[in-house]
Amino acid sequence: MSKQPLIGRRSWRPSWPVNTEKVFKRRRYLGTKRSVLRLSGSYNPKTLRRELVLTDKKPTFWLIGLLLMLVLPIAVSNERFFALFGIICIYAAINVMWTLIIGTAGLQSFATLATVGVGAYGAAYLSITYGVPWPLMLIIGLFLGALMGFLISLPARRLDGLYYALLTLGLSEFCRNFVTQSDQLGGKFNGALFGVDRIVPSDLMTSWLGQVLLYISAFALLLVALAVFRWVNGGRLGLLLRASATNREDEAFSSAIGINFQRARTWVFMIASAALGAIGAFYAAYIGGTSLQVFSLDLLLLMLAMIVIGGLGRAEGAVIGTIIVVGITQWFTEWGPWRIVLVGVLALLSVLYTRNGIFGLKAQLKEIRQRRQALHRAGLTSRYAEFLPQQAPDIHDKAMIVGRTFERKLRDRLRGWITPVIIEEHRRKPLGQHSDHLERILNYFRQGPIPDKYAVYCEEPFTSYRVVALSGVPGVPPRVVDDKVYPSLDEAYHAVFLRRVNDLRSS
Amino acid sequence: MDVVFSALLLASMYGLVAIGISFTWASIGMLNLAQGFIFTAGGYTAFLFAEIASTYGLEGVALSVGLIVAGMLGSAVAGLAVGAVAFLPLQDRDNFRTRSLIATLAISLIGTQVWLIFFGPQNKPLPPIFGTGRTEIAGSGIGNGQLGAIVVAVLMLGAVILWMRSSRAGLQMRAMMMNPLGAAVVGVSVRTTGMRVLAISGALTGLASVLLAQTFFVSPTSGVQPLTVGLIISLAGGLGSIPGTVAAAGLLGLAEALTARYLQQSLVPFVLFGIVVLILIFRPRGLGGLLEDVRE
Repeated sequence: MSKQPLIGRRSWRPSWPVNTEKVFKRRRYLGTKRSVLRLSGSYNPKTLRRELVLTDKKPTFWLIGLLLMLVLPIAVSNERFFALFGIICIYAAINVMWTLIIGTAGLQSFATLATVGVGAYGAAYLSITYGVPWPLMLIIGLFLGALMGFLISLPARRLDGLYYALLTLGLSEFCRNFVTQSDQLGGKFNGALFGVDRIVPSDLMTSWLGQVLLYISAFALLLVALAVFRWVNGGRLGLLLRASATNREDEAFSSAIGINFQRARTWVFMIASAALGAIGAFYAAYIGGTSLQVFSLDLLLLMLAMIVIGGLGRAEGAVIGTIIVVGITQWFTEWGPWRIVLVGVLALLSVLYTRNGIFGLKAQLKEIRQRRQALHRAGLTSRYAEFLPQQAPDIHDKAMIVGRTFERKLRDRLRGWITPVIIEEHRRKPLGQHSDHLERILNYFRQGPIPDKYAVYCEEPFTSYRVVALSGVPGVPPRVVDDKVYPSLDEAYHAVFLRRVNDLRSS
Repeated sequence: MDVVFSALLLASMYGLVAIGISFTWASIGMLNLAQGFIFTAGGYTAFLFAEIASTYGLEGVALSVGLIVAGMLGSAVAGLAVGAVAFLPLQDRDNFRTRSLIATLAISLIGTQVWLIFFGPQNKPLPPIFGTGRTEIAGSGIGNGQLGAIVVAVLMLGAVILWMRSSRAGLQMRAMMMNPLGAAVVGVSVRTTGMRVLAISGALTGLASVLLAQTFFVSPTSGVQPLTVGLIISLAGGLGSIPGTVAAAGLLGLAEALTARYLQQSLVPFVLFGIVVLILIFRPRGLGGLLEDVRE
């Protein structure tokens, strides 16, 4: 049997001692009440020193991860690395916005890439035809995305989740068809557009500086996307929508308490769609053109796989999933179609075996562990204890619980020692020196609690004795347990012993 | 008359795929987005069959029947495979709908690449099933292939619907469509019936695949278009309602044929999409779909 802690485990939180002479000042973001790090002061129970505890480790991880992402490609300065991480940043930005739609707004929309594509094609077309510079392209993309978002969100008010998913799934395919068959967009190069104004001037493109600038622009895009996610999801809109999560009852509930969740949803959807349109325009300016790849079902499925592998509904899941999937598909290009199969298998595995991708794994493993512990505890309960700490949350003194468990074990052992031989030994000589087992049994009886403890009551010395049970309350007389009268003290002692043995046996 | 034939052809093909999707949704509550994969599976099985048949010198009616049967079998097996991965392990877990949706999407992602690995990106032609001639009906000509496709599709659809109405297995399936829990209570095996439904809708999709390959070709991504159109048709018809789906297929087929004829081919997607959105705005459960309310 493995040793189990009686009291629940506490998660590890980084802490460090503070100088108590100085007043601790919490750093806050400028103009807000949000603190940079969520710290709380406490006393270390071992050293009894004042220390600071980091209650929320997430921002630190984000910071480290993002810094790594920024520094790694620049440190390696490999053309392939720049390309890989640039694409990761852009896809991650798209996925973060998609997470906003699926997770925060709770709309199962597959129109993400269609919106990106509309932004990309609109901006690219205007840039090629009228020579629009790239900053203006981003704004055009923003407006196109918002318009698209408004149009797509119209049916969402009426349709049920899955119906809406199906409707939007078809949208990409229709956009692709439209581009292929339109003369201005798809007539020339099978839907591809070239010659869009690029973010980095073309004479810089081949130099190291150009590559770094291009990568930093993509990284900035990801940062902006994350900021938008934080602003919407952590702000009032996110709060309203969390109250009216996704199922019907919650919707009724939120309507009842006065949350217009439809409007909140439409807002989130439009903000995310505008951002997606801008990302599309950025993408067009990033690679200097667009292609029909944007509208392909396979790319959409790959994006979905990224979100699913990372964990649906969480920004960190979207980013990590993107890194994994894009890493596989862009780095191991020599594997050919097998790498997409690998991604598909990963997505399938995460749907079949995890509850919510990589970032749901922690909670899932915790639950598995808890279930296993509960089973183990149930086994223990049937063997030893009256109850265990986890089953008696109202008892704060855990030592009492441990004591009861010990007593239970002790009683079990003593019960096994009670034999006719022992009883006979006590009958012959209730007082005086006994065998070891009998002495231990008697000791156990002696240290029992006073209420209802059996005692001998002398009615008349040397002739009549009775067995009584003490009340345990001062001033309240003991009660007589039966009408038997014992002629000698020894017999009365033995009668008490028998009663106690009986109680021990039946406990 | 041309428009009518064109509309009929489109409607029957879309109808086959859409009814498969609709069936699956209604009986086991799974949106089978791997239908595109099942579609191509049928096409490639028929293609393989044609290859083998040509080495043995098979011709005429035997070849035609063989092609159709091979396509349907291939798709039915693919449907069972999808069920084994996305239905059986997930069926009794919470959040089944979303999970199976994602699982089928992952399958369709894998499927395309598998075809790409084994068959390459080229379009594969199938030998003509119904000959190459033309028939004159009511003053306008129609290719034999298209005519045959319409006839076979309508016949097969009718046969399946009849079988659903009259056989015991069909009764079980209809029971599942009406109330899955109730069906399980009275002793209909959810798993067996679910797999049966997947096989049958797979077979219907395979038929559509073989018949459509008469005009188009089989390629790794050839399942995307039928999947999308099938989806929005089953959506417009109301998921789970067979008359609704048939009506929607007819309506959208007609709309597509009319648009392509009198307006512009590039407008087809928008017209279709517009119609579906309109239908859904006025009847959010589609043309015939009141079933969802019953399920709740």
